[in-house]
Amino acid sequence: MFKNYIKIAFRNLWKNRTFTALNVVGLTAAFGVAILLAMYAVFQLSFDRFHEHGDEIYQVYTEDSGLNGIEANISKSEPFAAALKDEVAGVEKITRYNGSGVLLTYQDKQLGMGTAYVDPDFFEMFSFPIVKGDTKNPIMSESSVVMTELAAKRIFGDEEPIGQTVSILRDEQQVPFTVTAIVEDFPNTSSMGFDIVLNFKSQNEHAYARTIGRWDMENHEVYMQLAESVQPKQFEKSTTDFTQLHYKNEIDNAKRDGFQPNADGLYRQLKLLPLADVRFANFNQGPVTVSRTMPYLVLGISILILFIACVNFINMSIAKSAQRLREIGMRKTLGANKKQLFFQFWGESILVFLISIGLGILLAVVLLPYFQTLFKTQASLATLLNPSLLLVLILSVLLITLIAGGYPALLMSRLGTLQSLKGKLDVNGKNHLRNSLMVLQFGIAILLISGTLVLWDQVEFMRTKDLGFNKDQVIAFPLNGQLNDQQAIELLRNTLQDKPNIVSVTASNNILGLGKDGSRSTSVLGFEHQGRGVETHMVVVDADYIETLDLNIIEGRSFRKNLASDSLSVIINEAMAKQMNEDDILASQIDLDDAVYSVVGVIKDFNFQELDQNIAPMTLFALPNWNLRNAYVKVSSQNLEQAYTDVKAAWNSIEPNAEFQGSFLNENIDRTLRHERTMITMIGSGSILAIILSCIGLFAMSLLIVAQRKKEIGVRKIVGASVSAITILLTKDFLKLVVIAFLIASPIAWWAMSKWLQNYAYRIELNIWIFLAAGGIAVLIAMLTIAVKTIKAATSNPVESLRTE
Amino acid sequence: MKNTLLSINEATRTVNSGSNKVTLLDTINFNVEEGEFISLMGPSGSGKSTLLNCIGMLDNFTDGGYTFLGEPVHSMKEKNRSKLYKEYIGFVFQAYHLIDELTVYENIETPLLYKNIKSSERKAMVADMLDRFNIVGKKDLFPIQLSGGQQQLVGIARALIGQPKLILADEPTGNLNSKQSEEIMELFAQLNKEGVIIIQATHSESNAAYGSRIINLLDGKIV
Ligand SMILES: Nc1ncnc2c1ncn2[C@@H]1O[C@H](COP(=O)(O)OP(=O)(O)O)[C@@H](O)[C@H]1O
Ligand SMILES: [Mg+2]
Repeated sequence: MFKNYIKIAFRNLWKNRTFTALNVVGLTAAFGVAILLAMYAVFQLSFDRFHEHGDEIYQVYTEDSGLNGIEANISKSEPFAAALKDEVAGVEKITRYNGSGVLLTYQDKQLGMGTAYVDPDFFEMFSFPIVKGDTKNPIMSESSVVMTELAAKRIFGDEEPIGQTVSILRDEQQVPFTVTAIVEDFPNTSSMGFDIVLNFKSQNEHAYARTIGRWDMENHEVYMQLAESVQPKQFEKSTTDFTQLHYKNEIDNAKRDGFQPNADGLYRQLKLLPLADVRFANFNQGPVTVSRTMPYLVLGISILILFIACVNFINMSIAKSAQRLREIGMRKTLGANKKQLFFQFWGESILVFLISIGLGILLAVVLLPYFQTLFKTQASLATLLNPSLLLVLILSVLLITLIAGGYPALLMSRLGTLQSLKGKLDVNGKNHLRNSLMVLQFGIAILLISGTLVLWDQVEFMRTKDLGFNKDQVIAFPLNGQLNDQQAIELLRNTLQDKPNIVSVTASNNILGLGKDGSRSTSVLGFEHQGRGVETHMVVVDADYIETLDLNIIEGRSFRKNLASDSLSVIINEAMAKQMNEDDILASQIDLDDAVYSVVGVIKDFNFQELDQNIAPMTLFALPNWNLRNAYVKVSSQNLEQAYTDVKAAWNSIEPNAEFQGSFLNENIDRTLRHERTMITMIGSGSILAIILSCIGLFAMSLLIVAQRKKEIGVRKIVGASVSAITILLTKDFLKLVVIAFLIASPIAWWAMSKWLQNYAYRIELNIWIFLAAGGIAVLIAMLTIAVKTIKAATSNPVESLRTE
Repeated sequence: MKNTLLSINEATRTVNSGSNKVTLLDTINFNVEEGEFISLMGPSGSGKSTLLNCIGMLDNFTDGGYTFLGEPVHSMKEKNRSKLYKEYIGFVFQAYHLIDELTVYENIETPLLYKNIKSSERKAMVADMLDRFNIVGKKDLFPIQLSGGQQQLVGIARALIGQPKLILADEPTGNLNSKQSEEIMELFAQLNKEGVIIIQATHSESNAAYGSRIINLLDGKIV
């Protein structure tokens, strides 16, 4: 019996090879892409899930009442962690965490190392297993260093790493550290990344010593492991006294300034963010929002694509079943029952699906390297090889085949014997199903296309928007060498001075956009002004900053060439001026604890942060001997490439051991749009595939319809219908479906996209043309798809088509 | 007296065509005994096919009684009814109705598959049948590669393979020339001699003559 089924299945598939091929191609593409997308989504969702105590680990943050409502703040002060553990019950373990890059020297090797500064509890909380060395307290001592296997290999090659001494540049001195342990290279689903781990106290003066005992200097994150018996909500409640005690000043000020308390009536509340949520949390816009939209969106696209391919399969199977009516009827008279028929036809579907899934997996394997580069992801198919996930996958494949293959099978097995023997099928009812499915298909395609167009529009808008500074002519790079920043800048100026294509050189402790090294920092300063609390971003700059970036001074003056004479001057942006609310802004002063600074100039607002945020108040300082971190070089616009090479050569001569990580600011801006670009590529390729698959279905339907109406076409031609009349006759039913799809999908797309655009403070206006374009694309492609077959049918010799009847 | 295979009492079949009630078979009374070879005659549209289909349980009478081997078919559940016909009835059609995707051998074998007969036994039975109909050489051909007469032979072979008591043949020679028709009729007569009961619908007087009894239908009534 089984053999008989298989045989007939293969013969049938071969006999209908056009349709089989259309189905297999469509399903293969869909499965291949769906596997890759699902892999990506699962990979994203599985981040930080490998920690054994993950469910008990939380990042500690506070919700502070501020000028703009509730603001989440993850930065904590030096005494915070220890005090929390001492004073509030329920803290099982706690660690401070600060990440930065250091320069490590071993013999004649110099390597930049990603560093995590943590407290000793760290290794007991997080699952970074120690494979060698001191497994108990590897970083108890301030001169211990723990490194990953990979880092050890880079530094020592095949030498035994444990007990070796390396030196790390700190505060311009080489400080020796002893390797005490080696940790296993962490899985690539770890958000925390480091080459080496050092004791928190091993940080430089600026980051640690200066902050000891200070509750007002917040510069690191804190993670804690909650005692198993304690609920996070309960813990948050129990910290009220702690907060009242240590943040009394801040709370009083917030009350005085009339800020709104949070829902619990508190002006500052400690909160816990589950470790698994950290990666998906956004702290930029008021209270923390945890959003897994991106991975779920990707998962959603993969499901939609599979759905479209399955619709094709269902539609083709049902349409094709008309040709198998006699077989069905015959088998019934020969004694087949419904169940047997169902299994026969379902089996045929499963065969097609198995072939397609096999080829789909193959396709995914072939495309994987491209996918990984395109989306800068380390997700691999192994991501999907987790037993419970595999089970879900197998079940969903079974479900898909059961529905996509089972539904037509059910229809066929249900047909009456006589009716099918006569070869007549009442197709009217089924056309409704077919039509709705096709509307759904094209609706999805149009949704994805318009999504892509809107996304692309917004990204282009952000990329090309005038940000208020010169992004085309300025190269920025991190000062990542051995010299201190002032020396380095001095040398850089001297080296580049008489180059004709260099306009000016400056430095600043913040970076515009995202540099090649990917590191960023902001410092926000809060102080009292005229009896009110004010907040401002603090940017420390070197001479010529305003000139190098072509910022516009609208009041007052720029910093002097002789920067030292301006060490007590600040220049503020318009937003800051507005916040200070002075009649004569140039006569006003900023009173910080250590000194009083005079406002000497106001610059026009420029987008120093990303475009999802409004321009915040900002103050430029010209403090001497500050950590400046980034150099900015303005070059003449003639030969940008040559200028880049010159700057690079200059840096290499100054810091021969450091990598030059320079890039033009417009590239930096581009880098900040990576997330959006990933989304465009995902949704864009999804929409291309969706439209292709929908058209495969449409093409198959047009083949069938033309075949079914061959005689009608012949008769119509004989009585005098023109080619165009017949083409229109055959095309209009399908185009109607696409138009209906457009009418349904556009409002949904509009709603979804306007919701998404809310994420951006600077955004495009949605206009109807984008959606009309998406609909137009769909209609055009659909028309071309049907045209091939219908025009051929319309122009064929009518006598021929009648003869074959 | 011979055993009765089936008896039909006051059986009627009506269908609703739009708002009209159309009577396809009108109070049919008729018995079939062991060993009979019945020819149903009547003009096109007189209800021959409908009657055969009802007897063959592909279709139902809407009224009246139908007893097959002492079992009341009219009050039987679908499942038992299909069991009954799987066991006792074979069909032969005017249009042959072979499965295009299967070879001659496989077409003949199919009913056995639905009866869950063992593979070795199946092989023997099909081989016998091929032998008997002299189509061993054609066993790997597909239906379209055969002439009409040969296809009908395969159709009959397939109907016989399940060793039915009753063969229902709806204009079995309708698509064949007279020489082929004669061969098929000879075959039926031969089978009838071997104990298979046959009911055939036919237009042709000469075909009808092969039967042991002729029943004439007109407008759904036996006349
Ligand atoms: N399901 C049905 N609904 C309506 N009319 C039917 C149906 N089946 C058959 N008929 C009609 O019943 C009549 C008898 O048909 P049929 O039994 O095929 O006649 P025959 O085989 O003698 O030519 C014909 O007029 C046919 O059109
Ligand atoms: Mg008939």
